[in-house]
Amino acid sequence: MHVELRHITKTFGSVRANDALSLEFAEGRIYALLGENGAGKSTLMKILSGYQPPDSGTILIDGQVVTFQTPADALRCGIGMLHQDPLDVPNLTVLDNFMLGRREGLLPKRNAAREALAQQAGRLGFQLDPFRYVDSLTIGERQQLEIVRLLSLGARLLILDEPTTGISAEQKHALFSALKRLAAQEGMTIILVSHKLEDVAALCDEVYVLRGGKLVGHCQMPTPIEALVTLMFGQSLPRPTRSAHALGEEILRAEAVSLTARRLTVRDLSLSVRSGEVIGLAGLDGSGQSDFLRACAGLQALNSGRILLAGMPIHGKRYPELLRLGVAYAPSGRLEEGLVDGLTLTEHFALTAGNGVWINWRGAATLAAEQIARYNIRGAPHSPVQTLSGGNQQRALIALLPKNLRLLLLEDPTRGLDVESTAWVWQQLLARRDQGAAILFTSPDLDEIVTYSDRVLVFCEGKATLVTDLDDPSRNPVERLGELIGGKGFGGKDSWVAWRGGAAPR
Amino acid sequence: MGRLARWRGAALTFSAALIAALTLIAVIMLSLDKAPLAAAQRFIEGAIGTPSARADVVMAALPMLLCAAGLLLTFTAGLWNIGVEGQVTMGAIFATIIARTIPRDVSDWGIFAALIVPTELLLAMLGGALWAGAAALLKIRGGINEIFGGVALNFFSVNILLSLVNGPWRVGTFPQTAPFAPAALLPRQPELRLSPLGIGIALAAFGAVFMALRSTRFGLQLRAIGRNARSAGILGVRVERNIFWAMVICGALAGLAGAFQALFTRGRLLPNISGGVGFMGVLIVLLTGVRAAWVLPVTLFFAVVPIGSLKLATSLDSAVQIDATLGNVFQGALVLAVLIGSGVRARLAARRERRSEHG
Repeated sequence: MHVELRHITKTFGSVRANDALSLEFAEGRIYALLGENGAGKSTLMKILSGYQPPDSGTILIDGQVVTFQTPADALRCGIGMLHQDPLDVPNLTVLDNFMLGRREGLLPKRNAAREALAQQAGRLGFQLDPFRYVDSLTIGERQQLEIVRLLSLGARLLILDEPTTGISAEQKHALFSALKRLAAQEGMTIILVSHKLEDVAALCDEVYVLRGGKLVGHCQMPTPIEALVTLMFGQSLPRPTRSAHALGEEILRAEAVSLTARRLTVRDLSLSVRSGEVIGLAGLDGSGQSDFLRACAGLQALNSGRILLAGMPIHGKRYPELLRLGVAYAPSGRLEEGLVDGLTLTEHFALTAGNGVWINWRGAATLAAEQIARYNIRGAPHSPVQTLSGGNQQRALIALLPKNLRLLLLEDPTRGLDVESTAWVWQQLLARRDQGAAILFTSPDLDEIVTYSDRVLVFCEGKATLVTDLDDPSRNPVERLGELIGGKGFGGKDSWVAWRGGAAPR
Repeated sequence: MGRLARWRGAALTFSAALIAALTLIAVIMLSLDKAPLAAAQRFIEGAIGTPSARADVVMAALPMLLCAAGLLLTFTAGLWNIGVEGQVTMGAIFATIIARTIPRDVSDWGIFAALIVPTELLLAMLGGALWAGAAALLKIRGGINEIFGGVALNFFSVNILLSLVNGPWRVGTFPQTAPFAPAALLPRQPELRLSPLGIGIALAAFGAVFMALRSTRFGLQLRAIGRNARSAGILGVRVERNIFWAMVICGALAGLAGAFQALFTRGRLLPNISGGVGFMGVLIVLLTGVRAAWVLPVTLFFAVVPIGSLKLATSLDSAVQIDATLGNVFQGALVLAVLIGSGVRARLAARRERRSEHG
């Protein structure tokens, strides 16, 4: 299937999100669509997958002009989109989700569907238990389900929006090899929308780069990563460097903590964190890092052991109490748990600032305007938060953090952000650290963990191992963490390199 | 869309819904060989034609207004407090605990006579608050949806009421208490059936809820919880505590409504003492789309209907005489029609937006 976009233009208010974009996608090739937040990638892919119509311009499939009213129309023409947050029904089983959207009679044929599911999944090397409930799956498994479902509904062109965000190394490896096989053997067209240049280097044949709604580059891979960065941002960004800073007294202490994560139990976790320290929590998706963060925030119960905040046990305290004691938790799902869909920025600031019975709306609006300017949020005080882009939502969340923090617990703080926004977020976080806050954060990106952590706690198969000598010049830190994360179940260095997509270890 | 356009849209929807509901009633009446137009005229005369009818409408609106005020809080927090009926009933029962013991002559009570009604009302608020608090605790501690807890507690309250008026509190042949003594009743103006104290209390309660939602932290926190309780918790809102207090305040106001029913409307305790004012409150809040500013006029409109239908039911003219429950049919049809109208309007707006994006 050959897909061509001709002069696609889309305007939102005064912003021209897509400015006469013309792109071509040939059969059996893997494309990357690169660009920073707001470059117009998502808008273009939503147009291609039928979620919204363009203002002008045409879509051609094999030379025929097509128009889509709904995503279902696009899927009927063979275009399927895999969203960053999979669109599935969490309280149904894998099989039920697979069967949704299939055009069948009144009585669905479960056995036939089960076989189709097993066959499709097997072909791609995915392992999906048809009777598991979707809400017990990891993001990576839900993605696999969604890919299998789209293929079984006849998709010939797959769009993947940030597919490697929040999935484990193994899952990423499985995903990439499945995608390569689909393109090479079955002539599928794949479009990868991503910020992660390593993923692009590992997977793609051709790259389109967007900036400010315009097409600024079209290159064949391999192209040096620096050249792509230059295309995306107009200039190369230097990597931030770690600076020496003083540590204060102990803020957080975990003593022989045992807690239950999604699939395993973490036992005997002990940790002492001092003021001004940054601890990265590394591990495969679902190994207990996020659960440990939630436990420190009083949002999850421990099986045994205890957690102390500045010498005081937090047992029995709820999150709002801990928040008043200077502990802040920021989850990765911004609109699911972090911001309130439907409330404006002013209302968010009114909610978090001050304590009185009455709300000073004028004061809150002033505060919102100040914070918007200071944190460079693209939005107005009266903008409902769901209208902000992902990067600006993250900025708003950081702007909402209380002033005097002692402990910051961050779940994947730069999820879905481009290089520039990531650097900005860390600049803000490190400023907090320099004011004396301790930071614990999780990230699926080991480069991020190595770059910003003073020490790293690696979660693997129920054990948490502390790595303190990251600065040891004789070993590559990322590679070393990878081996620890991999543990026995991961197969050591070779698979690790495969996950890194062949990118040369530093 | 501008504010004016939104208002015009809402007004249009409401008028269309009103016409649809009236048409339905007319069809029902014609099928029963009644005269709809004559009935309509008699209905309006009966409901608002005389000062005493107007006073009746105002007094009928008060318990509904109290329930609707409380429900504004719970609906804002995303809670379906279906238990409001039980809370009204418990309010009436708790008020009766004192009211039935008051003798006809309290001339020698002195200052204490002035405390009778306030004590009854406070006790009624306590009764409603207890029932709502129970539903809230079932939700917070037991993880039981407030709808299911509310339905169960409604069932309990009805049976408590029936066992009391059939058992220890029964006076005479019917299952009901004796009429309360004048000193136990909500004070009223002798010429009209109007209680300035009742009006004052109900308006004050509604005003307080209005202000709470508009400009207090409590109101903003309830809104945040209603939109996304998880996010609200992460932003530092004490979700469970706020849910508890929203329910308890709603229960107290519903209890007050129950006291109004016992101490004013009926003057005694009897089965079905709530008369459905709790569910009426739910309908009112649904009809306004949880917008406090609209509650007052809609409540008055809803109070006109039972008064007018009662006049039709007691009419001697067989061409317009019809059962008073037709009023309830009308109210239900109106709420459904408004909800459908809002849905249609939202869909049309979405289509218009799509079209303007095309063009």
